[in-house]
Amino acid sequence: MFDQMNVSDKHFSMVLIRRLCRPELIEEIEGNLIEYRQSLNSKKTSFKSLRYLLEVFSYLRPSTLKIFSKNSNKGPMFILKPLQTFRTLFKHGTSSLINILGFTIGLMCIFFLYFYIGQELSYDSFHRDRDKIYRVLRVSTINGTKYDIGVTSGPYAGALLQDFENTIQSACRAMPDDGLVSFEDKRFMEDEILFADENFFQFFDFKLVSGDPESVLGSPNSLVISETLAEKYFGGDNPLGKTIHIRQNEEYPFIISGVFRDSEEIRSHLAFELVGNIEFYDSRRWFHNWWSNGLITYVKIDSRIEAAGIEQQFPSFMDKYFGDDFKRSGNRINLKLEPMGETYFNNQTRYDFAKHGDYNSIRILGLVGIAILFIACFNYVNLAMAFSFKRAKEVGVRKVLGVTRSRLITQFVGESFLVLIVSFVVAGIMSELLRPAFNSFFQLDVTFKWMDIRVGYFIAGLMVALLLFSSLYPAALMSSFRPLSVLNGRKITFGKNMVLRKGLVIMQFTISIFMIAATLLIASQLDFVRNKDLGFRKNAILIVSNNNSDIRQNVENFKAELLTSPHVLDVSSMSGEPGGFHDATTIQIPGVEKLIRMRTAFSDYNYLRTLGITLTVGSNFEKELLSEENAAIIINESGLNELGLTREEIIGREVTMPGWEINGKIVGISEDFHFSSLRDRIEPLIMVHTSDYHRQYAIALHSENLLEGMNHVEETWTRFSPTFPIQYKFLDDALYQLYENEVKQNKVFSAFSGVSIFLACLGILGLVSYSAKQRQKELGIRKILGASVAQIISLVSKEYLVLISAAAVLAIPACWYFIDGWLESFAYRIEINAYWYLFLYGGIVSAMVALLTIALRTYKSAIISPTESIKYE
Amino acid sequence: MSFVHNSYKIETNNMKGTNLGEFEELVLLVVLILQEQAYVLNIKDEIYSQVKRSITMGALHPTLTRLEKKGYLDSELSGATKERGGRRKRIYQLTAAGKNALIEVREMRAGLWKQIPEFALKLVHV
Repeated sequence: MFDQMNVSDKHFSMVLIRRLCRPELIEEIEGNLIEYRQSLNSKKTSFKSLRYLLEVFSYLRPSTLKIFSKNSNKGPMFILKPLQTFRTLFKHGTSSLINILGFTIGLMCIFFLYFYIGQELSYDSFHRDRDKIYRVLRVSTINGTKYDIGVTSGPYAGALLQDFENTIQSACRAMPDDGLVSFEDKRFMEDEILFADENFFQFFDFKLVSGDPESVLGSPNSLVISETLAEKYFGGDNPLGKTIHIRQNEEYPFIISGVFRDSEEIRSHLAFELVGNIEFYDSRRWFHNWWSNGLITYVKIDSRIEAAGIEQQFPSFMDKYFGDDFKRSGNRINLKLEPMGETYFNNQTRYDFAKHGDYNSIRILGLVGIAILFIACFNYVNLAMAFSFKRAKEVGVRKVLGVTRSRLITQFVGESFLVLIVSFVVAGIMSELLRPAFNSFFQLDVTFKWMDIRVGYFIAGLMVALLLFSSLYPAALMSSFRPLSVLNGRKITFGKNMVLRKGLVIMQFTISIFMIAATLLIASQLDFVRNKDLGFRKNAILIVSNNNSDIRQNVENFKAELLTSPHVLDVSSMSGEPGGFHDATTIQIPGVEKLIRMRTAFSDYNYLRTLGITLTVGSNFEKELLSEENAAIIINESGLNELGLTREEIIGREVTMPGWEINGKIVGISEDFHFSSLRDRIEPLIMVHTSDYHRQYAIALHSENLLEGMNHVEETWTRFSPTFPIQYKFLDDALYQLYENEVKQNKVFSAFSGVSIFLACLGILGLVSYSAKQRQKELGIRKILGASVAQIISLVSKEYLVLISAAAVLAIPACWYFIDGWLESFAYRIEINAYWYLFLYGGIVSAMVALLTIALRTYKSAIISPTESIKYE
Repeated sequence: MSFVHNSYKIETNNMKGTNLGEFEELVLLVVLILQEQAYVLNIKDEIYSQVKRSITMGALHPTLTRLEKKGYLDSELSGATKERGGRRKRIYQLTAAGKNALIEVREMRAGLWKQIPEFALKLVHV
C-alpha cells in the first residue's frame, strides 16, 4: 500500500529537502525525487520505499546542503571546526591532559559502579511473573519487637491454595538442604541442594537447557542439576538419565532429568545447584507438621490489591490452623506476603535462606560515584575558567571577524565534547582492562555488558549531563568577552568568577575530606568490632559441622578421641556457635506471669568451659547430670533481667519450653556474651544441656600448635567419618564474616577517597600552574626585593590553605552526621566523640597532599631567576 | 565578512584540477549519448543499463557540479512535466572544453595503447 504512494508537497522527504538544501537546488532535487518515485511505482521492484529513502538521504551531502554553502555564514566554520578543536586541545596540552585524566578516572569509577549497582538491582528480574510472586513470611514477636521469619512449614502451601483458591493462582515450596553427592568415583559435599515442588520450573523462570519445565521434576526421584555441576560430575558426557546418589543419613538414588543454566546473568535470591522433587520428604513426619518450619513457600497472586486483601485474612487463617497452639503458648504468629522484588534487599528477615544484598551499601556507592563525577566536572570548569584569560584574545579576534556568540559557545562546547569522547573511550578500555583487579579488590563479581541498549542510554545520558554541567558555564563566560576590551590589552578581571572557582575547589576538598574521614571512622569501628571482648574465647577455636550420621552416632567417642591430643584443649558440641544459629522459643516458668521469648543454645556439658564463658552464679553443666527429663539450664544475665527475678530466686526454678517439649531446672547464670553480631543488643539466652540438636563442634586448640591440632582433628574425623569430608572454619574468622558488608564498604571508601583526593589535587595542580605563570612577574619582583623561595611557596600555598580549611569546616559536620547514622546499625559501637581527631586527620591529610602538589609546582616558578621572569613586557 | 568568503571562493575554484577522473569521463560520455535527455535521473538509469553501476542521484550531484565548475558541462533548467510535480529539470550539455577533454583522453589512451608491445597483452598459458 505504502509502496504505491505518490510524493506530496508535505511528505517529510520534501520538507527535509526544502529545509536543508540550498534554495537554488530545491526545485531540481524535488523534481528528480518525485519522478524517481513515480518510475518506481511502475516498476516491479521490491523495497520501493527503502530505495526511495536511500535516494533522499544520499541527496543530503555537502554539495547540496545549505550549511555548507559558501553563501552561508556557517560554511567554512563548519568544515574547519573539528580541526580547530583538535588544535586547541594540543595547544593547551597540560590542561587537556588533566581534564582527560580527571574524566577518565571519574568515568572508570562510574562505569564500575554502574554495572555493579545494575547487577545488584537486577536480582530476580528475569522471572516473567516477578511482580506476581510473593514469599510467605511468618511474623513473630520477641519481647515486644516484631520480626519476620523466612521459613514456613510444609502444610502452608496446600492450605493457602485451598483457602484462597480464587486469588492464589499457584504455590511453590522450596527446601534448601545439603548432602554428599556422588557419581561413580566423584564425591562432593553439596550444600546448595533444593527440594522443590513439581511446578518449580514453571513457577519460576529458571532456564532449562534440557528438560521440559512441566515434567522435569515429574517423578519423586528426578533431579535437575546446574550446567556447572553437569560439567563437574560428568565432564563432557550427557548427564540426562544418569543415576546420581545423594547421601544424608542414608543414600538415595536420583535420576537426572534436566539441566538448568546458572550463568552470571541469572541472579536469584535462591541459591541452588541441584533441584529435586520435594516428595523426597513425603515419608518424614516433620514435613507434614505445621510447626516444623524449614522451607520457603512462594505464592503467585495477580495483583497487589488482591495480595493486600489476602494479608488481611491471614489472622483468621492462622487461627483456623493454630488456634489451640496459640492459646497454649500464649504467643501468636501471623503471616505476611513479601513481594519477590523486595526479597533480595530485605536482609532483616530472620531464619532466612535467601541470598541478600545491602541496599544501604548500594545507595552509598551511588552517592560516592556521583561525588567523584562532580569532582571531575569541577576540575574541568575550574581549568576552563582559569584558561579563559589566555583565550580572551582569540575570542576577541573571532568576534571582530563576525563570529556570533552562539557559534563561539558551540565551539567551546565542542572542545569539551572532544575531551569527553576521548575520556569515555579511554575509560571504557581501561575499566575493562582493570576489571579483574577491581573485582578481586572489592571481592565482587562484576561483569561489564557494554552491548545492552540501556547501557547505551546511560552513557549517552551521562555524556549529555557531563557536557552541560562542565562546559556550558565556561563557554557562556568566554563567549561574553567584549572584543574592544580584550583586544586593547586591558586586563580582564573576574571578581565574581574567582568566587565561583574558589567555591568549586572548596566543594572538591569537602568531598575528599568527607571520604577520608569516613574511611578512618569506618575502619575504627571495624577495629573495635574485631578487638572487642565478646565475653567468650574466640581465638584458636575450630568450628566443625556435625553434618553426617557416622559422626552423630559416635559423638562421645569422637569427642573423647579428640581430647587425647595435647594440642586440643577442650571440645564441646552445640546447636549453634556464637555468631551462628540460635533459635528463638517461648519459655514458661511457674510463678512468673509473663511469657518470655528467649534465644536458645543446646549443648553438651562442656559449652561454657570450651568457649571460656564466665559463670556468675550457680553451677556449670556436669557430664554426669545429663538428664532428658529434667535438663540443666543456664541463662544469661539479660535473660535474668527480662524475667525480673533476683539471682537467688532464679536458681533451681523449673522451666518448660513448650515448643521443644523440654522441662528443666535453672542451675546457673552466665555473664552476657555476644552470641550474635555486635549489631544486635545481647538478647535473653537460654542454654540447655541436652544430647540432641547439636549441629556444631567447637574445638579449642592450643594456639601455639594450631597446625598440629588441626591435623589431629582432621585425622580423627577421617577415622570416624571416612565418606564425608570435614567442613570447618575458625570462630574468629566466622565472626568477622558477620561484618562482610561493612568491610566491603570500608574498602570502597578507602579506594574512592584515594581517587577523590587525587582528582582534587589534579585540579589544584592545574590551577596553580596557571596562576604561577600569571604571577611570574610578580614573583620575580618579590625575589628582587628579597623574598626567599620558601616565602614565595608559602605565599602561593596560603590561598589554598584557606580554601581547604573552609572545606574542612563544611565536611566535618556532614561526615559526623553520616557516620553517626552509619554507626546506628550497631548496637555496640565506638563513641564518635572520642574519635574527633580522625575528622581532623581527614582535613590534614587533604591539606598535606594539596600543599605538596602546590609546593612542587610553585618551586619551579620560584627558582627561576628574576632576570628571566621580568625580562619581557 | 564578504571579503573573507570571496577569497575563499576564488581559492577553491583555482584548486580544482583540470584532469578527468574515470567516473567523470563516464558521466561526460553518458551525457553525450543522452543529448537533450541528459538530466540526473536519466544519467543514473543510463549508467546502470550501460555499465551496471548503481549510483544514487545524490552521489551524482557533486560530480556533475564539479564538471560544471571545471567548465566541461553546461546546464539549464527546463521541461517541467506532470510526473515531476511541475518542477523543472536541469538538462546538462557538453561544452566545447568538455568535448576537447574527452577527445584528449581518448587520444592519450590510444597513444598509450599503440606503444604496448603486442606480446605483452597475450595471455600466457603455462
